[in-house]
Amino acid sequence: MVRNLNFRIQGVKWPRVQVVNAFYLNPRTLESLNPFKNFLQKEAIMQPSDLFEPYKGEVKELTIGPSEKAVKVGGEKTLPFHAFEGKEGTPVKFALEVYDVPPEGWSQHLISSYSDVLSDPIAWANKCIKTYGADLISLYLASLDSENYDVKKIAENVKKIAESISVPLIVISVGDKDKDAKALVEIAKVCAGKNLLMGPLVKENFEEIAKAALEGGHSIIPQSPLDINLCKELNVKLGKFFPKEKMAIDPLSAAIGYGIDYSFSIFERLKQVAVIHNDAMMKNPIIANIGKDCWKTKEAKEDKTQGIMWEALTAFTLILAGANIVIMRHPESLRLVKKLVS
Amino acid sequence: MILIGENIHILAKVVSDALKARDEKPLQELALKQAQAGVDYIDLNIGPARKDPDVMKWLVQAIQEVVKKPLSLDTTNPVAMEAGLSACKIPPLINSASGKQESKDKMLPLAAKYNCDVVLSVLTDAGIPSDSSSRAEAIMESVAYANEIGIPNERIWVDPIMMPISVDQPQASEFLEFMKILPDISPGCKSTLGLSNISNGAPAELRGILNRIYLAMVGRYNMYSSIVDSFDDELINLLRGKLPDITNLIYKAMDEELDISNLSKKETEIVKTVNVLMGRSLYSHSWLET
Repeated sequence: MVRNLNFRIQGVKWPRVQVVNAFYLNPRTLESLNPFKNFLQKEAIMQPSDLFEPYKGEVKELTIGPSEKAVKVGGEKTLPFHAFEGKEGTPVKFALEVYDVPPEGWSQHLISSYSDVLSDPIAWANKCIKTYGADLISLYLASLDSENYDVKKIAENVKKIAESISVPLIVISVGDKDKDAKALVEIAKVCAGKNLLMGPLVKENFEEIAKAALEGGHSIIPQSPLDINLCKELNVKLGKFFPKEKMAIDPLSAAIGYGIDYSFSIFERLKQVAVIHNDAMMKNPIIANIGKDCWKTKEAKEDKTQGIMWEALTAFTLILAGANIVIMRHPESLRLVKKLVS
Repeated sequence: MILIGENIHILAKVVSDALKARDEKPLQELALKQAQAGVDYIDLNIGPARKDPDVMKWLVQAIQEVVKKPLSLDTTNPVAMEAGLSACKIPPLINSASGKQESKDKMLPLAAKYNCDVVLSVLTDAGIPSDSSSRAEAIMESVAYANEIGIPNERIWVDPIMMPISVDQPQASEFLEFMKILPDISPGCKSTLGLSNISNGAPAELRGILNRIYLAMVGRYNMYSSIVDSFDDELINLLRGKLPDITNLIYKAMDEELDISNLSKKETEIVKTVNVLMGRSLYSHSWLET
């Protein structure tokens, strides 16, 4: 795909992709470039940056939340951690997950971080922000799984939470196309002006949710089933009526050992298509919602350290591949990854 | 380019019904219509025909009654293949053999025995190769084996195997790369492809444009033949050189990224399709709308 992109050195064309691959292969490439750099400077021929044509595509900058507490993501004009090739975007943003009703089936070593706040989503969210340093809160609408759910009440509750916390709110529905549409449309109305980031939108329900989100001034998360072509398809359809700078795409994130290689290669290709290929339909920040998938693995459930490492390394791997927002569950894995990437 | 009409195919209901009932009429009509449309070979795809291998012999005889074109016998079953071969009056094409051990043992020797042409795909026991160099490696081995058992390169039609663009987009350009090197690695070999596979999974109303443009693209690299929908008039006209403007535009769009702002709707669609097939822009089912 990137075969046609070349850079020139002394009039010879080299395939850029080989250079990019070399960087991937050798984590110490930057160091190993130094002699080369020194040589070039001594000879006063050119700077390393002269070797590269700048990338053409810039990932759109998405703003989440109302202006007084807005958080920006994306905006990069280079591949992840390739600052030497172009402008880096805003640093990766981390969300911790909060349930609107107390979660079921969480292992003890996960739930213990939140045992004092489980039944109060506002207190839970504030603990995530103040104690654990989350940039964003991701509210999971677990109440939709109960039999007699009331979308009006759920939406009012979302509004209350959004108003009571100091960071922007992501709202994630349960992944049932009908329930999601009902709940998210109502939330979009009730929370108008709060600029929530809401999803998932899939090919069966994107129209109604996106229209409501547009009217309520929110941003959305289109989701595709680990397929880059279907991801583009959904973006194209949304792009006909929804502003492209108000979307973060979710290509689905699998946990380590449970298919992360698929997610990795799609994240990676998405970023290449946006940055290298400048595909107008694909320049959205990527969101990796990994908490749920990590903590349902048997490895994470059976042991605390193992669970934290599982989540941290899944997050880190997908950040390397291009994630701009990561939704996590355990404060300790959040701390580890933040330390690793900062 | 030699065209092989694909319309007698077991997956078409009218064909499978007629084969079951041994009803010659609809099959002969299909063959006649294809011949009139101007294809060079008539493909007879009977599937694996496990229970009824003799159906190929019956079919060959039925079609030969009405059409004087060479036939392309299309089955994976060597018993059915031999039954068909024994009945052919004009030397047919065996469609197809591959580098799989089973095919080397049972299918390829039929081409030597009946002294006829054979489609040899790049498939091996390791699966379908994923890039041009592994395609080259696979086909060199299979061609060498075919030569050993007495089939010269001139009688081998190499099938590089087309993958649907909606499944594995980079394969479309890998295929083109392979076509560029084929004359060097297997001099004298002919070539063919199952064209419709490129558009498998794409929206039905858009399959034609993918098929036509891709065929023109591979035609530029001396593709010798293709298995095609005989009833796609525009495709036949394009291939027979009756639409030179379109062919030229396709070639130009292959060579460089064209500015589409001053092009007509139809020209814009052609350029966008070439860009998708060349791997310049990411495929989605609505590639014409972006």
